[in-house]
Amino acid sequence: MKISILVAAAALLTAACSSAQAANFEFWYGNTGSVEKAILAQCDAFNASQSANHVTCVGQGSYEVSMQKAIAAYRSNKHPVLIQFFDAGTLDLLLSDAVVPVQDVLPDVDWNNYIKGARSYYETSGGKLYSQPYNASTLLFYVNKTELEKAGVTEMPKTWEDIIEAARKLKAAGHECPYVTNGEPWSMFEQFSARHGLPIASEHNGYDGLNAEYVFNTTFVAKHLQNLVDWRKEGLVKIASDTKAGNYTAAFNSGECAMMENSSGSYTDSAKAFDGKYELSVNLTPMYKGYERHNTFVGGASIYIMKGHEQAEIDGAKAFLDFLRKPEQQMFMTASTGYVPVTTDVLDAIAKSGDAGSRKYATASVGIESMNEPGTPDTRGIRLGFYVQFRSVLMEETQKAFAGTETMQVALDNAKKRGDELLRRFEQTYKTAKLP
Amino acid sequence: MSSESSLFSHRWLPLLLAAPMLLLILIFFYAPIIQAFYWSFFLERPFGGGSEFVGWDNFRRVLADPEFWNAGWRTVIFMVVASSLAVALPLILAVAADRKIRLSLTARNVLVWPKGVAGASIGVVFAFVFNPFVGILAPINHVFPGAWAPGLDGTDAFITLIIAHVWGGIPFNFVILLAGLQSIPRTMFQAAAMDGAGPWRRIFDVQLPLIMPQLFLTLVLEFTESVTSAFALIDTITKGGPGGSTNLLVYKIYTDGFSGYDLSGASTQTAILMVFVAFLTAAQFLLLGRSVNYER
Repeated sequence: MKISILVAAAALLTAACSSAQAANFEFWYGNTGSVEKAILAQCDAFNASQSANHVTCVGQGSYEVSMQKAIAAYRSNKHPVLIQFFDAGTLDLLLSDAVVPVQDVLPDVDWNNYIKGARSYYETSGGKLYSQPYNASTLLFYVNKTELEKAGVTEMPKTWEDIIEAARKLKAAGHECPYVTNGEPWSMFEQFSARHGLPIASEHNGYDGLNAEYVFNTTFVAKHLQNLVDWRKEGLVKIASDTKAGNYTAAFNSGECAMMENSSGSYTDSAKAFDGKYELSVNLTPMYKGYERHNTFVGGASIYIMKGHEQAEIDGAKAFLDFLRKPEQQMFMTASTGYVPVTTDVLDAIAKSGDAGSRKYATASVGIESMNEPGTPDTRGIRLGFYVQFRSVLMEETQKAFAGTETMQVALDNAKKRGDELLRRFEQTYKTAKLP
Repeated sequence: MSSESSLFSHRWLPLLLAAPMLLLILIFFYAPIIQAFYWSFFLERPFGGGSEFVGWDNFRRVLADPEFWNAGWRTVIFMVVASSLAVALPLILAVAADRKIRLSLTARNVLVWPKGVAGASIGVVFAFVFNPFVGILAPINHVFPGAWAPGLDGTDAFITLIIAHVWGGIPFNFVILLAGLQSIPRTMFQAAAMDGAGPWRRIFDVQLPLIMPQLFLTLVLEFTESVTSAFALIDTITKGGPGGSTNLLVYKIYTDGFSGYDLSGASTQTAILMVFVAFLTAAQFLLLGRSVNYER
């Protein structure tokens, strides 16, 4: 009784609020730090640029918390119009029936302008874009040039064979940590599979149906991960917990480790940390010899339009999305965070800006190049159920292999088995839903 | 007892006074629990819509999942080891502080301080204290490289968790046990001493039997609390790793439900954990509780 009265009162209050401010709408995001500052600056710039609409940008602290709150808010009908979600939650969103594809809401936009790697991750198997890519990142190869040159390596490594040769020279020169990895699936496993053209699961990583099964334990990635274990024993590779810093980005930035693969989003921090001490080189991620290079996946997040809002709010949201897509806004985001632009016209704009050689755009061209390499149906993205849970399963099993309690092949076979169980349950949960 | 109930003459007044608290418990405890039990019989989609009744399927699946049992066993081991230590250590400290020795007054004060520290903060601090490169065990690693590696070795990580939990549990149990010890009449001690009982004898034959109610209380609370309160420590120190070695049920439920959006799986495990803790407490009351004598 009491609860229902409370609920009714709350509903009345919100109804009163929303009708009073019709052109107001909310945008939820999950980033913190320098990225959050950039997002808020964009919100302010949008509000200052026109008076018809007003966006309120609400930080939720992390992608995961943002998603949790969105789920709770959607269930109680308090959700925002625009919300930023991260890459691994894509399938949950596609099947949620809680969002409208951006391509339906904004049919006149030239969506083919988007770089392929960023687009394919967020589009349906039929090619319809579901969300607007926003803060896009991809995996890049970071090298401490100074340390490598000190050890006599003048040519920056391009292949894994080069890396190991350089690592042996570094080790011989007394360097304790030639290459470091965080052991996380996104960098060590997903991006590796993509650029080597290896499928992670059948049905083209789930794009063609919820009946996909994991296949990664039979592909070349299994060999690569076993190589990492062997190289670690040889003293060429460290995982995050082997380092003094306890965190691989910090281990690289402090000069403890000489090479790493990391998101383009961490470029600004590395460049700042290296300033005056070391020379930083950022390149395409390494390939094994004999493998053709394919595109890397997009990381970061994209913006979805949620269902159940009035037309005035949706119009405001459309204006905001148009604003964020502008080249100068994307350039601002790239310059202040290291995230990669997502439309091809931005590169031209950077070239024309006269700032093209500047450090603040260093990740833009290499990041776009990496995501624009030729793709296959297996390098579009990952569309697998309970994928966030699977990431922690894979992490757990590979940690056992790094600790030496089981071989990498056993670890990957176990991860496949546990992953397939997750996929089957996801399939059953969404039995009546149709994969768009 | 019957005389006390006549303190309130009005029949509804006591209930009215308790109503705000009851309402809070209802909304924030019973409602979510009922929801969890409800969802454990469905396959529930995170954004709602299309949930499907599956009967006992979720329970069958969870109970057949080796990962659930691994997490369950880790929970039991943690519960037994950590809560025994979290009662035994404060007991020793309380017995020491109860004796008229120097600094016992200061010790009583100082030992309560950790109670004011939140679990997550304890976790952050202990992550530093037991860091293999800069922590207190770093010298061991200098002599035997890799001997202490909580980031790689599951046992080391588990030990870190237990120490952090026991440290956090000392103050409350210490206060309860000390209060129990101080309520024992001095005359009993003196009588025992006159009969020729030494200090150890007096501890085992006089003090311990007389603080049984307090011991029982701390044990029951510790056992039930250690199942859930490990969460903040795991989240800040190990995140369930390395290799899942510190993934206790309470953390697994959180990651399954809130990171993995697997509402049904998490609800089912919550239901099982609830029933387990209820059984455990009931068993403690039935088996141990009988032998506790509350009369003095």
